This record gives sequence, C-alpha cells and structure tokens, in this order.
Amino acid sequence: MTTIAPGRESTLVRRPGPEELHPVRTHRRRRALELSLAAAVPVLLVLLWQLAATQAWIDDRVYPAPSTILADGWDRAAAGDLWPDVWATLKRVLAGYALGTAAGYVLGLLMGSLSLVRAAFEPLLDALYVVPKLALLPIFLNMFGLGEGPQVALVATTVFFFVWISTMSAVIAVPSGHRDAGRVFGASPWQMFRHVLLPASLPSVLVGARIAAGVAVLVIVASEQIAATNGLGHLIFDSRALFQNDVMFVGIVCVAVLGVLFSELVRLAGRLLTPWAPKDRGREQS
Amino acid sequence: MGDPHPKLHATDLTRTFGRPPRTVDALGPLDLTVAAGEFVCLVGPSGCGKSTLLRIAAGLLRPSTGLLEIRTTSRRPAAMIFQDYGIYDWKPVRANVRFGLDVQRVPRREANARADAWLTRMGLADFADAYPATLSGGMRQRVAIARALAVEPELLLMDEPFAALDAQLRTILQDELLELTQSTRTTTLFITHSLEEAIVLGDRVLVMSARPGRIIAEHVPPFPRPRTGDIRATAEFTALKSELWDLLRKEAAPA
Repeated sequence: MTTIAPGRESTLVRRPGPEELHPVRTHRRRRALELSLAAAVPVLLVLLWQLAATQAWIDDRVYPAPSTILADGWDRAAAGDLWPDVWATLKRVLAGYALGTAAGYVLGLLMGSLSLVRAAFEPLLDALYVVPKLALLPIFLNMFGLGEGPQVALVATTVFFFVWISTMSAVIAVPSGHRDAGRVFGASPWQMFRHVLLPASLPSVLVGARIAAGVAVLVIVASEQIAATNGLGHLIFDSRALFQNDVMFVGIVCVAVLGVLFSELVRLAGRLLTPWAPKDRGREQS
Repeated sequence: MGDPHPKLHATDLTRTFGRPPRTVDALGPLDLTVAAGEFVCLVGPSGCGKSTLLRIAAGLLRPSTGLLEIRTTSRRPAAMIFQDYGIYDWKPVRANVRFGLDVQRVPRREANARADAWLTRMGLADFADAYPATLSGGMRQRVAIARALAVEPELLLMDEPFAALDAQLRTILQDELLELTQSTRTTTLFITHSLEEAIVLGDRVLVMSARPGRIIAEHVPPFPRPRTGDIRATAEFTALKSELWDLLRKEAAPA
C-alpha cells in the first residue's frame, strides 16, 4: 500500500493499486479464484480418496473408491432402486418440517408478544428443548405405532424448537420504536402483526428455519435407521449390515445432497421473502 | 502556499466506488497541499467524499487515480480519530491510550508513563483503570484524542470527532483541542460539518463541493495564533461563518 522512496527526505506515497487501476479485471480474477478454490478443495479430497482406494492404501471393501460409489449410484438410480428410498425420506422431512415450522412460528409469535403466555410456557419448553429428540422416538412409536407417524412427529418436534426459539427472540427483539409507531397510529393486533411484527421478525425467523432444515434431514436419517423399513437412513444401515459398503456410501451422498438442496431452498425462499434484509451467507451452526 | 516541502501533497486525486457500469464518483479530482504544522479543516455536504480523502491519507483506502504524498520520517506517520470513538470497550482507559504504543512495541514502563501523562493532560487521570463503557461521551472522545496523540503522530486525521456530542460539550472539546494543538503543532486534517468548529480550529478552512467532492473555496480565518474560543463572539467570526454558509448551502441543497 505504501512505499518510502529513497532520498534525503522520505515520502510516503498513496497511489492507486491494481484494484483501482483495473477494477473489472481484478474483480473477475478474484471471483475466478474464489470459485476455483470452492471447487478444487472437494475435488482434490475426492481424488485423494480415489487414489488411496486404487493404490490399496485403504481397504476398498470398507471404503469403496469414489468411482465405484458413483457408478453404483448411477446404476441404482437408472434401475429405479434408489428413488423409493429418497422419496420416502423426502416426504417425511417435508411433512414434519411444515408442521414443525407452522407450530413453532405461531407459538413463538404468541410467546414473543404476550408476556403471560411466555411466562406460562417458557420454563417447560426450555426443559423439553434440551431433551435429545431421538430419545422421544420410543414415545412417538407408542403413540402412532409403526409407519409414517413417528418419523414425521420426530422431525416436526425437532424443527418446532428451532423455529420457536428464533421466532420468540426475534419478536422480543423488535425495537420498541417500531411497536410504538404502530400503537400511536392505532394499529389493531392483526395490523400490528401484518405490518410490524411479521416483517420485523422474518429475517431471524428464516435463519432459524434454515438451520432447522439441515437438522430435519439429520434427525430423519437417524430415526429411519432405528425404526423404518425404507428411506435413506434405512438404506445406509441396512446395506452396512449386508456388507454392501458401496450402497451405504451412495445413501450417505444422497443424504448430503438432499440436505444441501433443502437448506439452500429455504434460504432462497428467505431471500425472496425479505428483499430488504442483508444477504445471509453464513452457515452459523447446524 | 509557497512551501517547497509540504507535509502532505495530493495531486489530481480521485476515488470511484463500485465496478463499471455501476460506479459512483466519490471524490475529486482534488489537489491539496498541507504545510508542516498546519491545521486544515474540511467542510462539505454529506457524502461529498471528505471521509474518503481522510481514509486515503490514513492508508485505509487507495485512490482511483492521482497521488497523495506524505513527507515523513516514519512508516506510519498518521493517527486517526473516528466519529464513533473507535476505542475498545474491552480495554481499560489506560490500555486504550497505550494501544498505539503497544502496537509499536514501546516498552511497557515507558508506554504507561506516556499514557498517564496524556491522561493527566486530558483530565482523565482518575479514570485510568475504568472501562470506556462507564464513561460519558465527552470523556470517551477525550480518550480517543489521547490515544491518537500518545503516539506523537506526524499527521493527525480527525473524522468528525465531535459529531456525536451535544452542542455544549462540543464547544468545550473544541476549546480543549485548540489549546492542545497550539502547543503540539501537529499537522492536522480535520473533517467537520460544523462551520463554527472549522473556523475556531483551522489555520485554513477548505469548502468541498457536493459529490464528487472537489475543493471549491479556501478561507483563512483572520485570527492570529495563539487564539482562544473567545473569537466566536467577534464580528469577523460571524461574517466568515455566513460567507461559508452561503457557499455551502448551494452544495448541501439537493439539486
């Protein structure tokens, strides 16, 4: 940025750098570098894995080569063996996510805006929040029997807590100036919700919803391993039991892709719903 | 300014933000010469690139075209005072004032002595161990000034340092800064919205145009140094202020 020219009196010079002299070119190069890094790191790791498998550094019966996984996944997809499991998992995730988000949002909104409702439910929900949701699966199995019920209920419960907490804290955090302005104009509770609380809380609610999307996939895979006869989680565990490790990895890759697609979809929806909010690029937690 | 060796010299300086085709010309072209020991005030409408100029001088930003040269004996000649204090909430007052010295690896004993000397000078000696959050706005800004001056900068850059203070406190801090800079004679670039502030403090007052900021007028307040805040009550002061306001109003009003 600065140079000291030699001489009797040194002079510090602030002059344009490459970014100022060639803004378009510098930006293009920067973008290209970022994109190639984003692609190169996973590609390199997969290549390393491939190399390790073909060179027999690792046992390719336990850790099949990426090429084997890809070929196997392709065959199963083409033969139609894969889709029933993907579809089963997707259905459970979507149903549970919709139920959990709706319930979490309504309760979060009520508890955020009415302090009595908050006083009534907060300690109870805080206690339930820390219970690992998978530990509730036996209860759901007793309640709903085998089939889709327990799976959907488990996803819904998990999602509920994420959305509830982020909605409640978002509504509480709405600046009082926003509420006051609405109150002075005489806004009814519905108008207050429609014009102030909903838009003001939406950005952080959507962050919670996006984290919940990732966790929903995480939970469904775990629960399918325990109590389901299909789905990707079942596929992963079942094929391991049958020592079909390549199929197991196909299942794992499918789960990863599903999770990324789902959480990106929620983020895209969020971007469209809140055009005023700063872009949420981070993956805060998951 | 016939000085053959100015402290700071800007030639044909411009700064553009964004990439084509959506670019904003923020500054210039601007030529500026500041002599050693001079206190130059820049006034101009919001968004006219005053802060951009200061950030270029500080080395936080590069110009898009042109050059800015600083004659100096050190690699980091400048200290900057920001509008929102820029002091750290997690450091006690003494450690905040010492920050620049710590960065320059001045021995702890000497750094503490210099920090304490500045705290005494700013009337903050009793608060050396307090955290900034417990101080008032005026005291926090005094800490920021002490931090900047503790490194004995060759060039002091002040970006609307008193803008967040109430009017009474502003006047008090202006007088304090006036007294301080008349004894240290540090070369200073001072940015402000307040014409009064500029006239009280400045050896020269430069008026900048609306964006992209260029210098459209230069005034030398007719008050010999050392001066005090009492000049606010003189007729010359009022006359110069209204003259500057006439210039600035044309730039500040939306076209």
